[in-house]
Amino acid sequence: MFFRILLESVARNPRRKLLASAVLVLASAVAAAALTVALDEGNRLAREFQSFGANIQVTPQTDTLPVEIGGLDTRPVTEGSYLPESDLPKLKQIFWRNNIKGFAPFLDVPVTVASSSAALSSTLVGTWYRHAVPVAGEPSIITGVEATSPWWRVRGAWFTPGSISECLVGSALAARLGVEPGSSLRVGEGSRRATLRVSGILKAGGSEDRAIVTSLALAQQIAGRPGEYRSLMVTAFTKPEDAFGRENPRQMTPAEYERWYCSPYAASIAAQVQQALPGSSAQVVRRVAESEGSILNRVSSLFWLITLGALAAATLGIAAMAASSVMERRAEVALMKALGAPSGLLAWIFLAEQLAVAIVGGAVGFGIGTLLARALGRLVFGVASTPQLILLPVVLAIAAAVVALGSLVPLRRMSRLDPAPVLRGE
Amino acid sequence: MFGRIFLRELSASRARLALALLVVVSGAAVVSALLNVQLDIDSKLAQTFRVFGANVVVTPPAKSSGQALLPDSAWSRVAAREGADRRIAAAAPFLYLVAHVKSDGASAPATIPVIVAGTDFPRVRAMNSWWKVEGRWPASANEALVGSAVARKLGLAPGAKFHMRYGSAEREFTASGVVVTGGSEDNQIFTGLAAAQRLAGLDAQISLVQLSVAGSAAEIRAEMSDLSAAIPAARVRPIPEFTTGEARLARKIRLLVGATVALILALTVLGVLASMAALATERRHHVGVMKAIGGPARRIIRLFLAEVGLLAVAGTLAGCGLGFPLSSWISERAFGSGASPDWIVVPLVAALMFGAALAGALPLRLLGRVRPAVILRGEGWSL
Repeated sequence: MFFRILLESVARNPRRKLLASAVLVLASAVAAAALTVALDEGNRLAREFQSFGANIQVTPQTDTLPVEIGGLDTRPVTEGSYLPESDLPKLKQIFWRNNIKGFAPFLDVPVTVASSSAALSSTLVGTWYRHAVPVAGEPSIITGVEATSPWWRVRGAWFTPGSISECLVGSALAARLGVEPGSSLRVGEGSRRATLRVSGILKAGGSEDRAIVTSLALAQQIAGRPGEYRSLMVTAFTKPEDAFGRENPRQMTPAEYERWYCSPYAASIAAQVQQALPGSSAQVVRRVAESEGSILNRVSSLFWLITLGALAAATLGIAAMAASSVMERRAEVALMKALGAPSGLLAWIFLAEQLAVAIVGGAVGFGIGTLLARALGRLVFGVASTPQLILLPVVLAIAAAVVALGSLVPLRRMSRLDPAPVLRGE
Repeated sequence: MFGRIFLRELSASRARLALALLVVVSGAAVVSALLNVQLDIDSKLAQTFRVFGANVVVTPPAKSSGQALLPDSAWSRVAAREGADRRIAAAAPFLYLVAHVKSDGASAPATIPVIVAGTDFPRVRAMNSWWKVEGRWPASANEALVGSAVARKLGLAPGAKFHMRYGSAEREFTASGVVVTGGSEDNQIFTGLAAAQRLAGLDAQISLVQLSVAGSAAEIRAEMSDLSAAIPAARVRPIPEFTTGEARLARKIRLLVGATVALILALTVLGVLASMAALATERRHHVGVMKAIGGPARRIIRLFLAEVGLLAVAGTLAGCGLGFPLSSWISERAFGSGASPDWIVVPLVAALMFGAALAGALPLRLLGRVRPAVILRGEGWSL
């Protein structure tokens, strides 16, 4: 009997039910879409921070202080310590290896440079552009400044990876030397000397604009330091620091330390990098890491607040709909009451009907919202966001609870309804 | 007559109207709040991105030999602009020199060369929020901030004294604090600008000015050309990882917020539409009665339009009244500063709500076709 009344009610007035469900579907879609975006957006935005450059810098532990004038290391090659290039594949064996987006070793060598028209002293920066790093048991990975300094612009061509006869010339230095892509340069003196072809002009916007940038192998040869580098820049995806991430790992309990070690904070990835490379000291570049944390926190709280606002409106919309669909059926209620239906049963029938609409509408809305969030992810980040199935019960629960609450007030009023005047049409 | 019927209508369906109003008000509140946040997002992001610190540097033109320097007047021009120009969020002068540093401690290691940067501490502190200082920031002229790598090398802790020598000049400083940045600052010592100028014997000269400029890529370019015009003797250049990186990130965030807001807006407006449609369908009974007693269809439609208009206007006003404080609260929580109402939002929301309410009432277009007898007999449950 109960179910027959339910089915009858839906079948008898499909249009009204359709409209009520439409409101529910739309409100649930808003809730699902906003929640999906809010849950996912932090991780995806974090990836955008790579364009700010490396967030971990590695230097030899026992190094002398670099005397960097305008960002270029001017120490003679005989001073200070070096790190072995052969250790670098170990970076792809640490716990957070998949979070390491790229890395590039650097070796700065003070040199004299001569073109056909001028000779002056400058710095030769040896690094990787697209270097193949062998990884045990896996295909080798390609990394270098292309990944760590994506803002570098080259007019002409990059030097061929591994080449020891090509170089880039920084734009400011190129102007002073009067060289163009295709010109040749002499660098170094005595036995450590090379003639290089300028493959391109580099515009980095920093100190590299006054230097020669070439392969690490060539810089090692000119410095007489085969297989060694001075500093390493690492770009890693990190989790923004929270209160726990800021604690000093040395004062943690073993359990806390493990949790810290297994969270991709910049500091814990830096600690693992330092462990993987013997004799190194890895520092978090706070300018990038701290700013990232602060910006991500703000943007994600903005998203949660927008979501909250959307949820509030959706909730009110659903409640109003539920209330009105109960109210409009006064005549039906009066008739049922006149025929002797107890108030309790009536309330149950209405509530069950509303809940059925809520569950169906909520589920359809969840589907629509998820699809919309996917489209939004593709629009903004180029990759569709993953559906958050965990949200389905959340959205259904919200829909059911709000419908129940919205129906309660009119249902109470209905239980006190006197059928006679309603049926008389008063 | 029209007014009387209208008022009677309103009071007769009080409860229903209250519900419709609730739907419109909540829709309008969310729509106006989100639109207001969205319209303000650019300036909020520009402010937020200043946590990155400097993105523009003013340097002396390249010089073939020796250290290129700028006169102090270059800095005073930037400082003068800073007060007047809202785009400059922070700026600080720097004078770099390589000094020989020796700790006064008992087990002090040998003298080592270190880059010393003379600067303006309150300004650097305002610009570089990521600097972590153990100890405290220097307060007097003979106090210095020591980079963490320097401190480790020289065995300096906050409070320790050390000597710096440049040429024949030598001065004693106290390390008030140790700064950790993970960048080149860890290898430097920071003193007041005047102290560094005195040590180097370079009166009224600086090496460069760092600026933190807020705004879109175009605004930053405009500021840079204004600066070049104001200081013709200097080169003004961007720090590309931050200018291009910020622009990229801002574009992503703006697109993300914009798309989310548009999505919520569209779904909310559709929700209002559906609610209004549901309400409109219920009015068939009234229409049937009116037609039966000879009411012209035009008047019935006008009545309904008046009702929809009243709902939209009242809903928008109340909604914006709630929405503006809501958007201000959202901005306050997310960015630390509230959003002032953008009045363009009000007509926009009104138009959206009226449109939604009217579109929702479209089923009533069929009113002209309502056959009173069918309705009054209680037949024809669906329109």
